[in-house]
Amino acid sequence: MRVTRLACKGFRCLKDLSFDPGPGVNILSGDNAQGKTSVLEALLFLVTARSHRTTKEGDLAAHGAHAFDISGAFERHGRPLAMEIHWRRGQKRFKVNGAVQDRVSDILGKVHVVFFSPEDVELVRGAGAVRRRFLDMELSQLSGRYLHALQQYRQVLRQRNELLKAPRPDESLLAIWEQQLARHGAIITAERRRFAETLRGLARDAYQRIARREDFEMRYAANIDADEPEAFLEALEANRARDIKRGASTRGPHRDELDFEIGGQPARNFGSQGQQRTAALALKLAELELVRQIGGEYPVLMLDDVLSELDARRSRQLAGALPAGVQCILTATDPGGGRSVLPVEHTAFVIEDGCLERK
Amino acid sequence: MLLNAPAMERLVDAFRQLPGIGRRSAERLALHILTAPAEEAAALGDAIAQARRRITTCSRCCDLTEGDPCAVCADPARDHSLICVVERPAGAIAIEKGRGFRGGYHVLHGALNPLEGIGPDELTVEHLLHRLDHESVEEVIIATNATAEGEATAHYLGKLITAKGVAVSRIAHGVPMGGGLEYADDATLSHALDGRIRL
Repeated sequence: MRVTRLACKGFRCLKDLSFDPGPGVNILSGDNAQGKTSVLEALLFLVTARSHRTTKEGDLAAHGAHAFDISGAFERHGRPLAMEIHWRRGQKRFKVNGAVQDRVSDILGKVHVVFFSPEDVELVRGAGAVRRRFLDMELSQLSGRYLHALQQYRQVLRQRNELLKAPRPDESLLAIWEQQLARHGAIITAERRRFAETLRGLARDAYQRIARREDFEMRYAANIDADEPEAFLEALEANRARDIKRGASTRGPHRDELDFEIGGQPARNFGSQGQQRTAALALKLAELELVRQIGGEYPVLMLDDVLSELDARRSRQLAGALPAGVQCILTATDPGGGRSVLPVEHTAFVIEDGCLERK
Repeated sequence: MLLNAPAMERLVDAFRQLPGIGRRSAERLALHILTAPAEEAAALGDAIAQARRRITTCSRCCDLTEGDPCAVCADPARDHSLICVVERPAGAIAIEKGRGFRGGYHVLHGALNPLEGIGPDELTVEHLLHRLDHESVEEVIIATNATAEGEATAHYLGKLITAKGVAVSRIAHGVPMGGGLEYADDATLSHALDGRIRL
């Protein structure tokens, strides 16, 4: 997978952008607030209809404007693919190869990208909810069965929690909803376990390639460790009295964890900034590899401001850890265009006040 | 100028309460009624009032009906030992249009939904159990929707009906008839695979 051209009009602070990235590593450099991240955001929005920075789409239009357009030319499995998104006062229109698409789901998955930004260190450092969202996002793209189970599980959980709020909850009614929690919960747990197992090996490899010495370990800690509805139901029933006392569902996949360890220590509490960032990056590189295994080609990798937080040695090793054949777009504040810290062959671009220029 | 006229606003607001009607449609409907011949508007008002007066719930199956008991419950040619339980009158109409079902119905008027404050007492569950005690029912088919709420309701009724010694079943969910597999969504397909039957 490769982007051959990204163009946009009226998007953030970018002036009628036209960006033709090269096949390998591309480095966008510039001072702060010149529009580096916005270029990545435009590409992300084009292929996912979402921004990583905001849920208010109006913020994406240039100041004072009510419309923006993004288009991209891609090469997928060696064949050309054109995508367009036109935003007019909150209304989105999508086109794929010139044909209008009715639903967002028609464009999702056409172009796979892996995005890493400085905030992604929260995957390692943040609360469990961040890691569960990561699992849910990835698995929902890979498995329709997972997405359905997850949506149903959430709805049933809300219903059961509502019953638990009553002064004296009816146990026979709670039991009714537990049947469905068990059915969907067991699917969620089994799929998360399988996914984490695959990701574990890939993330360990990636971590070692960047950091060399330290030993990275990742473990899926299911809150109810059962892949069969019957065993799952038993655990829920055994916990019912406690749930009634607490007024909430205290057990289930909504309390699952993904534990990371570096050198035998929990990365969340004991890892240094650099170690945590490397672990998060390793996770993203593992995702990159996983998508290739499933889809047959590497997604486009976007690394936003990743070099500023890694020391020189790790940056060099990151450069070495990028798989051959992956197209990568990375941003850097370094005036040297990242050249000094990223000794790989690359295409360099400079961005200043929303204008992009090839160096 | 009708804009902001109180009677107009009241009419528009009344239309907006209807399902699927937004502000624009409500205004269009209101303007149509106000510009149409007076008899037409009166006939509409009369039709609504008459329908509300004449249509009640059937004392046996709780479906909406003009005349009690309803046509299905009163039909001696139907198999009244078989009851199909649906959430809403629309469900009974859908199954009836399919023409394949010759039993009777029972309309719950909703599904278990704690978030909306709907428990068994808000549905016609008691009434259904009373029917099982007083009619010679052999089997109940539960045709509540394939939503979290519909499934919970099905499970709840299943337990109660089994306790009465009456056979109970759930309608199958799966691939639409005459439809290619490629048009079924992921969730339907995985449900259809889970619910496969042996040949």
